Amino acid sequence: MYKVLSDKRTILLLVLPGLLIYTFAILFPIILSVYLGMTDWSGIGRPNFVGLENFKKIIFSDTTFWKSLRNAIFLALAYVFVQHPIALTFAILIDKIGGRAEKIFRTIFFIPCVIPVVVTSRMWVSLYDPQYGLINKILDFLHLGFLKQQWLGDTKTALISVIIICMWQGFGWALLIYYAGLKGIPEELYEAAMIDGATGVKLYTKITVPLLQPVIKVNFTIAIIYALKQMETVYLTTNGGPGDASQFLANYLYIRAFNSYQYGYANAISVLFVIACLAVNILFQKIFKPENYEF
Amino acid sequence: MSKRTLKVFISVLLVTVMIVSLFAGIQGTFTASASTKKTIEIKFFSNLPDRTSNQGKLEQMLIDSYMKANPNVKIKVEALQDEPYKQKFKVYVATNQMPDIFMVWGQPSFFLPVMKAGYAAEIKPEQIKDYGFKTSSLKDFMYNGKIYGLPRNTDFMVLYYNKGLFSKYNVKVPTTFSELLNAAKVFRKNGIAPIAINGKDKWILAILYQELVVKESGDQRLIYDAISKKSISKNQVLLKAAKDLVELVNVGGFQDAFVAADYGAANNLFAQEKAAMYYMGSWEVGMAANPNFSDSFKKNVDATYFPIISGGKGKKTDILAWHGGGYAVSASSKVKNEAMKLLLYMMHPTRWAKIGWQQGLVVPGQNWEKFMTGKETVLQKKLTQIFSSATSVSGTVWQDAFTPNFKTEAETLCQMLVAKAITPEKFLAKIEELAKLEVK
Repeated sequence: MYKVLSDKRTILLLVLPGLLIYTFAILFPIILSVYLGMTDWSGIGRPNFVGLENFKKIIFSDTTFWKSLRNAIFLALAYVFVQHPIALTFAILIDKIGGRAEKIFRTIFFIPCVIPVVVTSRMWVSLYDPQYGLINKILDFLHLGFLKQQWLGDTKTALISVIIICMWQGFGWALLIYYAGLKGIPEELYEAAMIDGATGVKLYTKITVPLLQPVIKVNFTIAIIYALKQMETVYLTTNGGPGDASQFLANYLYIRAFNSYQYGYANAISVLFVIACLAVNILFQKIFKPENYEF
Repeated sequence: MSKRTLKVFISVLLVTVMIVSLFAGIQGTFTASASTKKTIEIKFFSNLPDRTSNQGKLEQMLIDSYMKANPNVKIKVEALQDEPYKQKFKVYVATNQMPDIFMVWGQPSFFLPVMKAGYAAEIKPEQIKDYGFKTSSLKDFMYNGKIYGLPRNTDFMVLYYNKGLFSKYNVKVPTTFSELLNAAKVFRKNGIAPIAINGKDKWILAILYQELVVKESGDQRLIYDAISKKSISKNQVLLKAAKDLVELVNVGGFQDAFVAADYGAANNLFAQEKAAMYYMGSWEVGMAANPNFSDSFKKNVDATYFPIISGGKGKKTDILAWHGGGYAVSASSKVKNEAMKLLLYMMHPTRWAKIGWQQGLVVPGQNWEKFMTGKETVLQKKLTQIFSSATSVSGTVWQDAFTPNFKTEAETLCQMLVAKAITPEKFLAKIEELAKLEVK
């Protein structure tokens, strides 16, 4: 057996299916994207090679591209600084509550994640509707009529409205990952700290958060990649509008490829998009240096 | 007969029977497979997902009647809303898997690249010589003098309105722009959305802008010429029209958050009598006969010209009209002849034009006046009157007259204008910039 497994040809043979799938499903499309990004192909007929023209245009004169990237960064920041602290707090509370209530709350918070995005997006479009939408109706009821807005139809509020939907949709995932992380921290650590006189908040800042660091890292990375990739919710609610006020990279790429017949240009955007995702990933690896907490 | 001879005789008989029955079997198989082979499947790609009313109903009726008349033909329909249709269409084009017969918009921004790349099959003039298509109606379905598609409708813009709401609030149906602004103010005061519009779709905003340009200038060519000459930003008529559009927004002329409303939302708002007017094309003629709408709405729905502008040179009879939607057959279809037969069957004047008109489902691309029976709905009669009294028509609307990217960008700029993300001056400067990049 050892002889067979140490044979290089056998190793190659065993690795080959995976290698082929990786090459054709991941590597080849990326290489093709880089090539098509250097053409002015409309998606119909033959591509015409234009070199780095598309990339130059995107970087130096495409304001919508930068706006889309900026919006994605806003969403990422909203995930990291708003959604995640709330999700972590709720995960701790659910973990603490215990019993049947724990299961009920866990399920309730996870419900938005199992409903298709199309449904939740339509629901939010209705909630935001200025005429019959629940949000404006509640504001009226609370005598806060002056706060009423044309949520998705106004350049000032469209982006924040879309960000709120995205945060609501992804809340369950963030919570679930933190919750699973919390379950992995041994109870004895808290007991030992309490014997040493640690109080409630200190327990969490000194034990929970540091020990959850690997989980936080994974959760942040997922959230940021998700923010950069945001497409469905935007497409279904504002389609990037009004104008390009709530435009996101993936949706913008889609519009260029399928509405403007600029398939080459869209591929160039996709290449820059991949680079942006990689850069964020590397940045995160640097910020969260691996530290081993043993317990 | 000896025993041996009998044995030989029986053996020969059995072998003969066996061979004969074997051949009969083979022949039977051949006949059976030949009849199976005869079943032809045609893939039909449509932009009309509602198969129970308006054009979708007519399309389905004709498809069903074709299948009934040709039992060996099976037509598989795939129908999507406009925007998903356009996207799926491009996927089909990119993967070279065109459906056998498909819907096309006869506009340079959509159909020209398709015709140029040879995806559509040629239709010979003699095939449609008795079909009553005017050359002008085929213009946008032609490339290099050859025809590649057939228009199904005459599309023109009107202002639909709800008679009941106008009389309830004692408002005059607007004939001038200032009357329209006043009407908007009255309806808004009473909690009724003045004009329902689908601003999320963007194209309607660009068409409305052109409507205002025509009503200001009285010149149907002005906007096209300005774009072709890239002389836009200093054009005072274009600027005034942009300001008119913003003024209409400022008085609350459209429903709240109209920028985020899609086609269905705007249409429902009007059909549910929560909006007094609806700026839309003649393809909505079927509203008056739509079984999904209330009787009260159907009784009250009417249409009028878009108002003129005091001080403007345009007449109310200067209308935006074109032949937009139509059908084409895939050049690479394996059942091209059958698909072509189906197209010619559907578009025969006694079918699409006659049945469509008489059932109040469409305003056909062919001459429909000869099919009038006197039993038409009010809306049909009004649309016929509006179209037949037109003193000038636009042809393909401005945003569709150039490249696909020009269309996308120009429409986005129109949306930015109505969302007040840019000023009218900036809007024109941006359109000029766009024209310089996109219009050769």
